Amino acid sequence: MDFKDYYQVLGVAPDATEDDIRKAYRQLARKYHPDVSKEPGAAARMAEVNEANTVLSDPEKRAAYDQLASQPQAHAGGGFQPPPNWDAGWEFSGEGVSEEAYSDFFEQLFGRAARHRAGGARAAQGRAGPLRGEDHYARVELDLLDAYRGAERTIALQSGRLDEQGHLRREERHLQVRIPKGVREGQHIRLAGQGNPGLNGGPAGDLLLEVVFRPDPRWRAEGRDVYQRMPLAAWEAALGGPAEVATPAGTVEVQVPARSGAGRKLRLKGRGIPSSPPGDLYLELEVVVPPPITDAQRAAYEALRDSYPGFDVRRAGSGA
Amino acid sequence: MTMRETIHEGEVLGEAALSMEDVARLCGVQVAWVHEHVLAGVLRTAGQGGEWRFDSATLVRARRVARLESDFAADPQLAALAADLMEEVARLRRRLLMLEDGEAGH
Repeated sequence: MDFKDYYQVLGVAPDATEDDIRKAYRQLARKYHPDVSKEPGAAARMAEVNEANTVLSDPEKRAAYDQLASQPQAHAGGGFQPPPNWDAGWEFSGEGVSEEAYSDFFEQLFGRAARHRAGGARAAQGRAGPLRGEDHYARVELDLLDAYRGAERTIALQSGRLDEQGHLRREERHLQVRIPKGVREGQHIRLAGQGNPGLNGGPAGDLLLEVVFRPDPRWRAEGRDVYQRMPLAAWEAALGGPAEVATPAGTVEVQVPARSGAGRKLRLKGRGIPSSPPGDLYLELEVVVPPPITDAQRAAYEALRDSYPGFDVRRAGSGA
Repeated sequence: MTMRETIHEGEVLGEAALSMEDVARLCGVQVAWVHEHVLAGVLRTAGQGGEWRFDSATLVRARRVARLESDFAADPQLAALAADLMEEVARLRRRLLMLEDGEAGH
């Protein structure tokens, strides 16, 4: 594994004060915050920045890290291994949410691996009881159609395990998960016991999957309700009548009321997400005016104009 | 994959599925943090009855608020304001995506 230069990640000098580190971290957090950042690779960059901050903002971890960094082999490039028992005498508390993708370097020094060692050592001294494993938290991205039909997804999970020599072994597990139909955005699916293993005989943690829908220009969900655009030809909007429309719930025939203007919504009760109770489907009507191409079409538009003498469109608004 | 793996059936967390301890554990915060944020009107409780329960959407929000507070040492109300704006932007983006598609289709 490579030695990580956390000072470089945050862009601060090795003698930076706590305040410098805090300022640098916040600036980077604002830049790469996954909810707002438009930078490519923001999530990966944010994980790096978080890792560097986790170590450098904690005086104990920073002191231990500085001690390691001062050893010549830290900068020799290539395979860095911390000296055996390098952390003897340091007491790192394992805090924070563990879904961050920490590097092997961090895991080996301060992460779960280190906690396993510490837990093992404390257990050997008879001081630690059973500890519940940490929960895993992941997002699963679905299409809205998956919520209508149910789906299967393969979730990749990273976990670390220590081998007999105390080296960290990264393991990637793949879990096949059945997504039941009727799930909504922001809901969670819990898989009991699929988180990290417990310590000293404690129970394993859970895996929680947060459901998010992939953005789709055809439709959007708001809670249980689904909204979809329904284009109407100008004459359909004016005259009304039956019209077929493909919806996530299948193709349905709807009665378009006469004099339907753009912006009007048709509600199809119970055709939203099939949860219990099911949501509704709203068709948001919009009017399409096709361009006249043939002489007949041009004549038809002219006849339409002539049959509305005195109609002032700027004053009448949309006429809805 | 040639081997047919076990398919795990997940349990969908219903309304009011989470306790205060669950929310605290999944956000990496103390129970007192959750309690304070309910009293401050930042987090909504779900359901009736004596014990506070929380639904899934509140967990997503709580994680976001906890994150903002710790990243920026933000006041809870300021973190809540940022979370409100992020939720609103996400909603507007979804609507905009459909509108822009409509424009392109004409």
